[in-house]
Amino acid sequence: MEILAVEDLSFTYPQCSSPAVRDVSLRLERGEFAVLCGATGSGKSTLLRMLKRELVPNGEMSGRVTFCGSPLGELSPADSASRIGFVMQRPEQQIVTDKVWHELAFGLENLGVPQDEIARRTAETASYFGIINWYGSDTAELSGGQKQLLNLAAVLVMQPELLILDEPTAQLDPIAASDFIATLRRLNQDFGITILLAEHRLEEVIPVCDRLIIMENGGISANGSPREVIASLRERPELLCGMPAASRLYAALDGRGECPLTVREGRDYITSGFRNEIRSLPVPERASSGETALEFRDVFFRYEKNSPDVLSGLSLKIMSGELFCILGGNGSGKTTALSAAAGILRPYCGDIRIFGKKQKNYRNRSLYRECLAMLPQDVQTVFLRNTVREELDEVGADLSALPYDLSHLLDKHPYDLSGGEQQLTALAKVLAAKPKLLLLDEPTKGMDAATKQGIADVLKKLRDSGITVVSVTHDVEFAALCADRCAMFFGGQIVSAGAPEEFFTANTFYTTAVSRMTRGIFDRTAVLSDAVELCRLNGSREV
Amino acid sequence: MRSFQDYNPAVIAVYFFCVTGIAMFSSYPPFMAASLFGGVALYLVRNGRKHAKSHFFFLLLFLILAAANPLMSHNGVTVLFIMNDNPITLEALLYGINSAAMIIGVLYWFRSFTQIMTSEKLLYAAGTLSPKLALILSMAIRFVPLFSRQSKRVQDTQTAMGLFRDDNIVDDIRGRMRIFSILVTWGLENGIITADSMAARGYGTGKRSQMKRFRFRRDDIVLLLTSLSLLGITTAATFAGGLTFSFYPAIKYETPGIFGICGIAAYCLLALLPVIIETEVSIKWRYLRSRI
Repeated sequence: MEILAVEDLSFTYPQCSSPAVRDVSLRLERGEFAVLCGATGSGKSTLLRMLKRELVPNGEMSGRVTFCGSPLGELSPADSASRIGFVMQRPEQQIVTDKVWHELAFGLENLGVPQDEIARRTAETASYFGIINWYGSDTAELSGGQKQLLNLAAVLVMQPELLILDEPTAQLDPIAASDFIATLRRLNQDFGITILLAEHRLEEVIPVCDRLIIMENGGISANGSPREVIASLRERPELLCGMPAASRLYAALDGRGECPLTVREGRDYITSGFRNEIRSLPVPERASSGETALEFRDVFFRYEKNSPDVLSGLSLKIMSGELFCILGGNGSGKTTALSAAAGILRPYCGDIRIFGKKQKNYRNRSLYRECLAMLPQDVQTVFLRNTVREELDEVGADLSALPYDLSHLLDKHPYDLSGGEQQLTALAKVLAAKPKLLLLDEPTKGMDAATKQGIADVLKKLRDSGITVVSVTHDVEFAALCADRCAMFFGGQIVSAGAPEEFFTANTFYTTAVSRMTRGIFDRTAVLSDAVELCRLNGSREV
Repeated sequence: MRSFQDYNPAVIAVYFFCVTGIAMFSSYPPFMAASLFGGVALYLVRNGRKHAKSHFFFLLLFLILAAANPLMSHNGVTVLFIMNDNPITLEALLYGINSAAMIIGVLYWFRSFTQIMTSEKLLYAAGTLSPKLALILSMAIRFVPLFSRQSKRVQDTQTAMGLFRDDNIVDDIRGRMRIFSILVTWGLENGIITADSMAARGYGTGKRSQMKRFRFRRDDIVLLLTSLSLLGITTAATFAGGLTFSFYPAIKYETPGIFGICGIAAYCLLALLPVIIETEVSIKWRYLRSRI
C-alpha cells in the first residue's frame, strides 16, 4: 500500500532564479526503507521539508504531495505532527527542553495527551531505546550520539507512520552513527515504519535499504533498488565516490553480474573474479626532513583534580612536512591532545615542544604568530563577522595564495554555508596567520564523499607547500586517503603508529572497508585505487 | 516513608512560603528564634558536617547585623555605654539581634530550599500554575549552560587563532565583545532550528497538557493541610492573641494568653516539621535496615 506519493513537485526559494526542487515524482510503499543521496546543495533537504507540512519553507511551490491517500495540506494539525516524524541534522539544536524525560514528553504534551498516557508512552519508548539510565539527566550532559538518539525517540514517542531523517548521522562519530543506523533498521523491521533517510555515509546504509534515490540539481536522476542504481552510475565518478567500497571496486573494474554491496560480497567478487599472484604494490617513498615539528614527552593531563587522567604519559613525535592523522574512538583523548598542543589546555606534567622549543617559552602569545594554528571541530566558532569577505579581510587573508577557490562565497553569511564550505573558509582564515604547523580537529565531519576528497586534496597541497598538518579524525577512509603517517590513540596515549598501508592492514577492526575486503587476498592495500590496480595487474581468473 | 525532600514539590513550596512568610512579616522574637532554630537545624540534619566552613560566615554575618543596629540607632532608654559621644542602648542591641535572627533564619531556609528544589521541581511547581510558563522556564534553563559552553569554545578557538593578539586588557575586552555579538547571532540561528523542531512535533496545535513526574500522595496532603492549618493558627494568634512586643523606647510586651501560647507552639511545630520528618525517617530506616 502506498503511504506517500509526490507528483511533479517543484519548488523555488524567493529571490532565486532556478528551482531548488524540480519536477520530482516519487512513491513510497508502506514499510519501505528508502535512502536519498546526492551532493550537498542538490535539493535533498528542501525536498524532505516539503514532505513535512510544518517545515515547508517559504517560496513558490507546484505539484502535489499525498500522504495515505489524502493531500498533505488536508491533514489535521495533530495528525500531521504525529503521523510524520522528522529528525534533522544537528543533534544539539533540535532539543527543546532541559531534561531527557521532558524532551520525550514534549510532543505528547503539545497534542494534549492525558498525563497517564504520556507517562506510559515515554516509559515504553525509553525502555525500547535504552534511555532508562539517563532518563532523568540534563539534556546538556549527553554525548552527540545520545542526543540524536533522544531526538529520534522523542519523535517515535508520537508513533509516526512515516519517518523522515535529514542527514541524522552527519555530526556523529562512526560508532554512534552505525548504532543509529542499526536502530533505524530495527524500527523498520520491528514495526514496519516507513523510513526516508537522506545520508552521506552510505557504506552501512545501502546494504540495509530497499530503495536508493539519487538527486541531482533538484531532480531525481535514479530511483530503484540499490544494486540497479549503483550499476547505472558507472560513468558518474562524482556520485559513485560515496557508495560502498565493494560497489566502487566493481564499477572501477567494469564488473559484470550482480553488483556487490557489502564487504563480504566484495571479497567474494575479488576471489572469484581475480587471481592474486601479485600481492602488493611497491611502497611509495616518503621524504621527511628529520626536523621535529611537534613533540609530546610524557604528557599527563586531567580536567579536574580528582578526575581520571585524559592524557596519561603521551609521547609522540611528528616530523616537519608530514601529514599526520591521529585516529581513535570517542573519549580517547584525541581532541584533548590537540588542544594541549595548541596551548589551550595546560598539562600538569610533561613537555610539549613545538619546532624544538618548549611550548611555554613561546611568550606573549607568539605561538600563534606564524607558527601554529588550530581549526576546532565546530568550525562555526571561527567566525565572528557577517560575511565571508569581512572574515577574510579582517585577518588579511590572500585569496590567490589558497589552493582552492572561495570567490563565489564572499558575500554570504558564514553560517549560511554548507559544512564543507565552512571548513574551507575557516581554513582560509587560519592560513592567513601563515602557520608552519596546522592542527585540525575532525576536518571532514558532516561532509559528503566528494567534498571529503576535496579536503584531502587541499591538505595534501598544503603539506607539499611545507606546512606540517596534524589532523585528529574518526574517519579511517579519509586518513587512509591522505595521511603520510597514522597513529591510533587509546587510553590517553598513542598505542601504534605507522604509514597508512602498514597501519590499516595491521588493524583488524579499526580499518578501512577496502582493507577488510582485501585481507588475506592482497597485502598492504588500504585504499580503493590500490585494490583496483592490483586486480588489474593480476588479471581476471579464467573460468 | 519519604524524607522531606521527596514530598511533592508543590507542597514543599507551600511549606516554605508558610514558614518564611511568618518569619519575614512578623518580628515577634519567639517566632524569630523558632525560625532561626528550625532553619539551621534542617540544614544541619540534611548536610551533616558538609559545608561546615559556611556556618562561620553566617555566624559572622549574624554578629555584624546584630551589632550594626545599636551603632546606627540610638533609641532606647537603657544606656549601656557611650561611644564617640553616642549612647549604645540595650533596646537597640536587642532589636539588632532580633532582626539578625530573622535575616539569618530566612537565609538558612532558602539554603535548604535551593538544595531541595532542583530546577525540575521548580518547573513542576511553576507548571501547576501554567504549563506554558513551565516550558519557557525549561527552555531558558537549558539555554544558559549551552550559551556559556559555546562562549568558552569560541574563546578557545579565537585564542588559538590569535584574536587576542597581545596580552593587554584593551585587546582582550574588544575580543570578548565581538565574541558576545557572534554568540547572539549563534543563539538566533539555533533558535530557528529549535523552533522547527518544536513545530515538527506539534507545538501550538492545541491545548498543551503537562507530564507530571510527581504525584500527590496521602502524606503530601497531610503535610499540606498541616502546614496551612499551623499557618492559620499562628496568623490568628498574632492578630488576636496579644502577641505584641515593642523594643522602643523601652522593652514592653504582654504576657500571651492561652490563645497566644497556642500560636507560639503552632509556629514552633511548623518550623520543626521537616526536622521531625527527617528524624522519623532516619529512625524508621535504621529499624528497617536492621531487619534486612
